[in-house]
Formats: sequence, structure tokens, C-alpha cells
Amino acid sequence: MADKHKAAPMVDEVSEFEILEIAVRELAIEKGLFTQEDHNAWTDYMHTLSPVPAARLVAKAWLDPEYKKLAIEDGVKASLEVGIDWVKQMPTQFGTPSDYCNLRVMADTPTLKHVVVCTLCSCYPRPILGQSPEWYRTPNYRRRLVRWPRQVLSEFGLQIPDDVEVRVVDSNQKTRYIVMPERPEGTEGWTEDQLTEIVTRDCLIGVALPKPGKTANDPRPVRKALKPYGH
Amino acid sequence: MSEATRKRVLNHLDYVGLLQPAIHTETHAPSPDEVTNDQYRAYTRPSHDIGGERDVSIQWEEKEEEIWEHNTFVTCEVLAWRGVWNAEERRRRQNVDVGQTQYLGLPYYGRWLLTAALILVDKQFVTLTELHEKIDEVSKRYE
Repeated sequence: MADKHKAAPMVDEVSEFEILEIAVRELAIEKGLFTQEDHNAWTDYMHTLSPVPAARLVAKAWLDPEYKKLAIEDGVKASLEVGIDWVKQMPTQFGTPSDYCNLRVMADTPTLKHVVVCTLCSCYPRPILGQSPEWYRTPNYRRRLVRWPRQVLSEFGLQIPDDVEVRVVDSNQKTRYIVMPERPEGTEGWTEDQLTEIVTRDCLIGVALPKPGKTANDPRPVRKALKPYGH
Repeated sequence: MSEATRKRVLNHLDYVGLLQPAIHTETHAPSPDEVTNDQYRAYTRPSHDIGGERDVSIQWEEKEEEIWEHNTFVTCEVLAWRGVWNAEERRRRQNVDVGQTQYLGLPYYGRWLLTAALILVDKQFVTLTELHEKIDEVSKRYE
């Protein structure tokens, strides 16, 4: 298993997936279904996405109770203040073509911890959180989290005490979620920028908690791509 | 949820678990008397409806994205932007129509990619022959 995370050597230079991808894209362009410019515009839009706006939303809410209220009541409206317009920002100018425009911000309390899954596919609030991690898309995570959330969270290094309720929110086509964890101790007097840095992607999905000094997701093995796309 | 309902749901999940990843039984395409209602319900559940099924704990990993995976995501989004498919039909094709074996056996974006190829054919934007010829042509570029 030592080389498990090295890309396996390929007998063939090019995979069937690569060939089919090129064939489909070129045929769609030749038939006028979309243009190369459309494709480029969407790629450019993808490059603008990251978890930072969602992290900033949480940081702002920690600092401003009125904004926290807004975030909980209307996540899409609150997103505007961190630079995310769920309707006009995409190249479509009419929202995501996957047809969702409802963000719910789930606020943790001392006795309640939220964690997000999409049991039916891999729904994820891409406009404000970027691309989903691979583990979030796995059948394994989707199968087990709704039934054994504490066990799965413990595998992510998060032990939830028995007197804290764990609530799993299941995303769907129309509604996407982020978690607003509790502001950790040791951050008194911090600025919005400082707070934003400790709200990692994993915190926003709910599989980690923010901590002073911790500005990255927990390290995990990385499965290498054969021909990686450089973001 | 009543105790009886809960029992039924857990029973269903156990049966669905038996279908993974391939069906190994003595008889394929069995006669009707060989299919119980529990089995029927397991076979006919949509392949993406997996919440609550049993599985083992695994090592959680991050993953680098292949170039074709990125391009597939973008192609699917742009096909939707330009009205070739809407979210509902796209989801049904990617999550249900592929069936259990491909759903569990293919990479995440591999499933998306097959579905994107099929929508072009099914909606008669290209013929199956055109698609095959294109695939041959692209393959030759790498020979």
C-alpha cells in the first residue's frame, strides 16, 4: 500500500475518459451548442471560487450580531456583503445552471453541532465555498454520515461530547448549506481578516472546528492525478 | 418514525447493500417466484439514494483533479447554461439512469461525462455514428 497515493503507471498514454471528454466538447462546439468562449468563461469563473467568502461571512457574523441575524435569515442576501451575488455573478447572469439559489447558514451553539452532507449526490454551495472535496462526494461519506455522524466526525478528528446534539443537514438541488461554528476562545479582539483565516473549508462543512493558529484543513493523503489540472 | 417503519427501512438498506457492487446469484434474470418484495424494492430504488446504507470506515483523502475532470464539469455546466439540458434531466441521467453498476463503478466525473455524451445523441444533436467517428478521430491524434 506504500504507493497507494502515487498515480498508477498507465499502459496507454491516454485514457478513454480523456478521449471522450475531448470528443464531446468538440462536437458540442462544432454543432453550435456552445462556443469555446463559453467554455473559457466558465473556467475563468471557476478560478474565482474559493471558501474564503464563506469564511468571511462567518467572521463577520461573529463580530456583528445584526449581520449574524441576516446570515441566518437570508444567506443569499448576506452573501452580497462578502462579494458573492448568487444570481448575477455567474457567466449565465441568471444564477447557477444547476438551478439553485438558496443558501442556509446553520449556526452552531454550545449544545448543537451541524455537519453537511448531500446523500443523493454531492450538492454543495459552490458559489461561496468553491469546489467540493472528493471525500464529500464519496458514497461512503454520503452513506454513513446520516446514520453514524459521531463516528464519521471522529474519523475527521472531531470528537463531539455526548451532551452536544449533532444535526446533519442534507443538501438538495435547491438548497445548499454552510456551517457557522462557534467563535473559538483565544480570538478576543481579533479583526475580521484574522478570524476569516481560521474558518477553513472543513469548518464550513462541519467536519472541523476553528482554532487559533489553525488556518488550513487537517492534512490528509492526496490522491495524485495522472494529468493534473492546475488551478 | 415508528419502530415498524424503522425496521423496514433498515431491512431495505441491508438488502441494497447486498447489491454492491455486482449481483452474484445462481440465476440471472430469475423467475418471478425467486424475487421477494424486499429484493424487488432493493433492485428498483434509484442508484444514488444511498443515505443510511452500511459501509466500512475509510481513509479520507483529498484528490487532485484530472484535466478531463475539470473540462467535464465545465462542459456540463455550459450545456446547461446554453439550454441543452435542465437541472432535473441532468440529475436524473447522472444519478439514476446510469444504473447501479456504473454509478458505483465509475469515477464521479466519469459518470457526468458519459451522460454528457448521451444527451447529445438522445436529443439528436449528433448521431451515434458521428460520436463514434469523433472518438476515433480523437484517438488517432494520440497514436
